[in-house]
This record gives sequence, structure tokens and C-alpha cells, in this order.
Amino acid sequence: MQVQSLFPAQGSVALEELKGQVSGGNVNRPFDAGVVEACIELSQRLLRDRDARRYPELLALGFWMRKTELHRLQQQFDQLQREDRWLVPCGTVLHLPPRNVDTMFVYSWLLSALTGNCNVIRLSPQRSESTDMLLRFLSETLEQASPSAKQATWIVSYGHEEEPTQVLSSICDMRVIWGGDHTVSTIRRILLPPHARETVFADRFSLAAIDAASYLELDQSRRSALAKQFFDDSFWFDQMACSSPRLVIWCGSQTHAAAASADFFPRVNDYAVLHQAVQPAQCMHRFLSSSLAILDRPVTNYRRFPALSVLTLSTLDKFDRSHPGGGVFFECQVERLEEIAPVLRRRDQTLTWFGFPGEELRKLATSLNGRALDRIVPIGQALQFGRFWDGNDLLQSFCRQVFIGGIEPLLPS
Amino acid sequence: MTVEDLLRQPPYSLPQADKERILLAELTSLHHHHRRHCAEYARVTEKLFSHNTDALTLAELPYLPVGLFKERLLSSVPKDKVFKVLQSSGTTGQTPSRITLDHETALLQTQALACIMTHVLGPERLPMLLIESPDVIRDRTQFSARGAGLLGMMNFGRQHCYALDQELHLRLPEVRDFLARFGKGKFLIFGFTYLVWSAFLEPIRSLGLDLSNGILIHSGGWKKLQEQAVTAEEFRAAFRQTTGLTRIYNFYGMVEQVGSIFLEGDDGNFYAPTFADVIIRDPQTFEELPPGQTGVVEVLSLLPRSYPGQALLTEDLGVVHAIDPPGGGRLGKSFSILGRIPRAELRGCSDVIAAQVN
Repeated sequence: MQVQSLFPAQGSVALEELKGQVSGGNVNRPFDAGVVEACIELSQRLLRDRDARRYPELLALGFWMRKTELHRLQQQFDQLQREDRWLVPCGTVLHLPPRNVDTMFVYSWLLSALTGNCNVIRLSPQRSESTDMLLRFLSETLEQASPSAKQATWIVSYGHEEEPTQVLSSICDMRVIWGGDHTVSTIRRILLPPHARETVFADRFSLAAIDAASYLELDQSRRSALAKQFFDDSFWFDQMACSSPRLVIWCGSQTHAAAASADFFPRVNDYAVLHQAVQPAQCMHRFLSSSLAILDRPVTNYRRFPALSVLTLSTLDKFDRSHPGGGVFFECQVERLEEIAPVLRRRDQTLTWFGFPGEELRKLATSLNGRALDRIVPIGQALQFGRFWDGNDLLQSFCRQVFIGGIEPLLPS
Repeated sequence: MTVEDLLRQPPYSLPQADKERILLAELTSLHHHHRRHCAEYARVTEKLFSHNTDALTLAELPYLPVGLFKERLLSSVPKDKVFKVLQSSGTTGQTPSRITLDHETALLQTQALACIMTHVLGPERLPMLLIESPDVIRDRTQFSARGAGLLGMMNFGRQHCYALDQELHLRLPEVRDFLARFGKGKFLIFGFTYLVWSAFLEPIRSLGLDLSNGILIHSGGWKKLQEQAVTAEEFRAAFRQTTGLTRIYNFYGMVEQVGSIFLEGDDGNFYAPTFADVIIRDPQTFEELPPGQTGVVEVLSLLPRSYPGQALLTEDLGVVHAIDPPGGGRLGKSFSILGRIPRAELRGCSDVIAAQVN
């Protein structure tokens, strides 16, 4: 069988031949100088390029992987190393990124490559403009990179066929599946070598919590700034990224909650209308999904804006996490943040917040005790990717840990 | 004036202002009727449209998204009064729309079609050439909107001749025979736009058949023909040049709203009959747009009594050209349909196929 090779070669390649190439790929030392250099180069291209600047998610990626950040990541990695427990690369990692979050494959590749792994990335044959642009940048960068970096990455493209995934799975030491319960369960059926491990990122649900009184204390410009950050969290990926908020919790009295909400959503809409083309099909979609929500959920109020719709719920009991995306926000008022703990579920990933003391957020995480929430971050950082994701530390996830017992300590204590 | 009164009058006989007065009163009472008899309608419209007072204009009347009929079976009559559930043909993979009809609404639908067809066909039944295979209505248990539409139209014809066989190939001998018997006088041709073009006109193009006494009525939309880059003008021109057929009437309508049968005038624009209307809305704000501006089409009809479909926001784009245009012999709004709103594709990391916008 043939698949499409996108890097290093371009064009059709026989699956068996690809298998041979990948098996002979480089496994580098963590933070190999050549690999770090290539990452810095890619970041600079993203930040410099005129076309890339049109896509905020590409800029965010470029910024996230800039030189100083990579050095910080390296320091963090060094701090993880212990003389009796050494982190080493897993070996060959197969990445199956989601089709519709364009930048995900680079985040996944980056952490894996930095920790020394050899990588195979599968991309969908249907790619967005920004994915193709990113692919071009990455290919050009690796083309000119040191052999250590260049010979540690393969990018291929094929449809929903099982065979290529089967063959590539058979030679990998780790498989990473991004996104979609359906995708995860389909690919999980394909066998891995017995020693290999798997990390999956399934469908998640995310929400925001705002302390209504704190919001109302903000001056006009700060309110607008918060609305802009909430827009970034929600609209970059049409509210379909797993960490984008779909439910807003207003904490405080009913009067405060109503006043804060009445002020907040029009600001989000105004920003959205100015900064993103409102697609007529999405307006129709929102109108239909709002109608269905009114029939199925305890909706007490509905507000329609050109770029979004807000549906007020009387209770979060049995809250249905299915969601149409595209700018539909549920909202609910509670007196205190801790009241949401009983309704949170394993599926709930990111809580973006505004106006709570750290104490209260830590208390929430502690009381949940692993039952829900993997990230609690300020509004504006929902999409900010980091080494801690979905309950994993990705710097360690891409490594094996070698225990070295019975040796003399390097440094006398 | 009630819907029964309107159905007894010529379909394009009311100036828009008079028509709107009648429609507003009747649609307001229909709104209250459905609020009383359909709990889902009452709940959705109460939340979607917060104003408590009655509408002062047609644009202020509550309306439902047409897609709701794909998701729910909405009814304003008790189960034992349901005469039939009409289902849209729906291409493979698409959920069909379903609406409930009682005897009263079904009868109104028949009368509405007669009211409009009489206007272009005259009072007599005409010999009728159907661009269909007899199979489409043979199995009455599988009643699609296409079959129902065909049966409805067959009432206006006699000596029905099916022009296509099971495989939708032209039955040329039968067509020649039909034309030899009836081609010298007025006759009716009916079919779905795509079939009329691909299964009828294509094979007879070079045969020199004379259809100049025919009246062609077709519907079903341009979607498939647009893929082949055939415009309405080319469609008309091709028939005129190769068969001499000039009386061609397309009509716009949808299974979700009985009674909204918008027939083309001689100018190629659609016209709203007295008992139905269209409103063009801004896709973002849903505000009504003036003539000349393109927006989303809302359709209104006085006929749906058995289910709450009297005001529906469609997924089509359209534009109103004129109100009570002079000279055409038809009063009311004239408009064009510009096709479906282009699909939006959502991004995101979950299984987006399932969530893709229709």
C-alpha cells in the first residue's frame, strides 16, 4: 500500500519502505542542540512571516516556542532529572493529531522531539490553509536543520484506512491520539507492540467561572479587556477546542450575576463582530441549536447576538455536556464557586476563571480530588498549551524513567 | 377574511398592503392556536421571542428554524386526528423533515395548489406528460414528498403519460405517441428540475420534438444543476431553442410548510400568492431587509393548522425584487432564490464530523 509522504520526501511512498525508514530514524539525547536550534528557527519563521500573522493561533504557537521559552523548558527538564532516576526518550512516537486544531501536531511534535524521540506524524488529506502553511514552515526548517533533527521526523498523510496506522503502530514505542472519543476508540483497537505505551486526549468539556461582584468592580476598559480574552478562549477554534469555555458560571448574588452577564456578553459580541467574520450558516446553526436547547434543557432566558447566543439555565443538575459549538454559551448563577463541585465530571477539563482568590481555586481542586478538572487557569489562557495537559506532564510522558540503584551519589550531600 | 376566502380568489389579486393586513390578523391567531395546542411551540417561541404583545408587522411574528422539523415531530392535533405524516425525500445520509397533517390541513393544501395552478393552466384538466417513472408513486407505504407532490399535480392533468422508465431512461415511443395525440393543443409537462433537464431534455435535444404548446411546471431546486453549471436562463433557452417550449414555470416551496407555493412569473421571478409570503432577513441580526438586499428567506403561510409551521426561517438565501410590480399582472412580492447558505465548517479538536453545521 502507498501513502502520501509530506516530509522528508514529497510524494507517494510504499508503506513498507516508510516502515524501514522510520525504523532507522534518529533517537537523540533530550534537548539535543540541533533539535533545539530547529525549534527556535521554526518559532522565528512563524513570528516573522506576513502570512502567518493572519492566524492568531500560529502566532501563539510561535510565541510559545520562542527561544527563551525553550530554554525555560530545558531548565525544567533538567530539574526533573535525578541521578538515580534518569529520563530517556521513549523511542519512536506515532502522533495522530486532530484535523481541526491546526497547530496541535506541532505542539505534540515539539515536546516529543525535544525529549529526544523519533517522530511519525499522520495528517489528514483534508487540511486547512493554516495547517498547510505550518507544514511548509516545519518542512523547510527541518530541511535545513542538523542531521539529528532532520532524521528524526516523518510526516505522512492518509485517509481513514487502517493499514497504515497498523504498520506504523507496530514499530512505535509510544502512540499519541489527539481528540475525539470516536477516533480514540477506533484507533485503540489497532494493536501496539506489547512494550509500547499510549497517551490519548479524548473529548473534553470546559467552562469559565466569573465572580460577578469582582467583574462589576472593573472599569470599562478592564471589562472590555476581559471580554477580549474570553473571545480568544472561545472563538479561535469556533468554540470546538476542548479547552474553550461552553458554560459560564456567575458566582455571587442573582442581582450581581444578572448585571454582570448583561454587561459582559455584549462586549464579547462586539469584539467578535469586529475581529471575526460572522458566517450566516453559523447564525442559522446557533438559532436551531438554541431552539433545541430550549426544548431539552432548563432554559429560563435566551439572548441572541450576531456572533453568539446565551442561554440561561436555572440549574446545573444533570447538565448535558453535548454541545454544538460555534458561539453557543450556557450560563448559570451560583452563590459560591464550591457549589459547582458536585456537578463537575471527569470529562471537564479546563476551568478558566476571573476574580477568585487562589485559595478558593486550590480548595476546589482539592475537594474534587481528581474527579474533574485538569487545568484551572485565568480567562485568556484556555488555549495556551503547556507541558501540563489533560492531567499529564508531557515533558515526562514522552520519556521512560530509568532507575539506577546501588550507585554512589555524584555529589556528596 | 379567512384562508378559505383567500383560496377562492385569484392567487395574485391582493395589493401587498391589504394582503399584509389580512395575513397579520390570521397569522397572529394561528400563533395563538399553536401556542395552545403544541407545548413545544409554546415553549420555544416564548423563549426565542420575548415580547409579550401581539406583532404589529409580519416581521415581528415569531418563527421557527426550518431545521427543527428534522429534529422533532411537532403537532398541534391529537394523535387520532393525524391524517398522515409527510416526510421530505432527503438525500442519503440526511435526516428527513417530518410534518403532521390532519384532514383539514391536507384539504387546504389541495385547494391552495389548485388556486395557483388554475392561474397558469386554466380551469380545464390538460393532457399530462410526467417526467417521472411510474414507480415513484407505486409503493404508497413509502410516501415521500416527491411522490406526494407528484400525486398532487396529477389532479391537474388527464391521460397521464410517464416519460421515464424504472431506470429513469426516456421512454421515447410513449413520448412520441403522447405528442402525436395531444401535441396540437395545450398540454402539461411536470417534473423535478434535475430530472427534467438530465433525463428529458438531454435525450430529446437533437430530435426536433415540438413542445411549443406545452406548459412546463418544475420544482426541486437548482442545487444539482448548479453543480453542472446550468443557470435558469440556460434552462429556458435550451428548451426554447430545441423544442419551442416557452411557457416554463419553476416553483419554490418546501415540505416543511404547506401552502407556500411560489410560482415563477413570466419574468422568471417567484411570486407569493395571497395566502403566503416571504420576508428577507439579515443573517446576523435577523432584521427585515428592504427589497434589493440579499438575506435569509423566511416563509409564511396561512395553511399549517395541524402543526406549527406557519412561519419558518429557511436556510436559503433570497432577495425581494419588487412589491406590487406594475405590468406583470401579479400583485404581491416578487423575489428570487439564490441557493442555500454556504456551509460553515467548524474547527476544534473533538470529532467534528458529527458536529458539522448543516
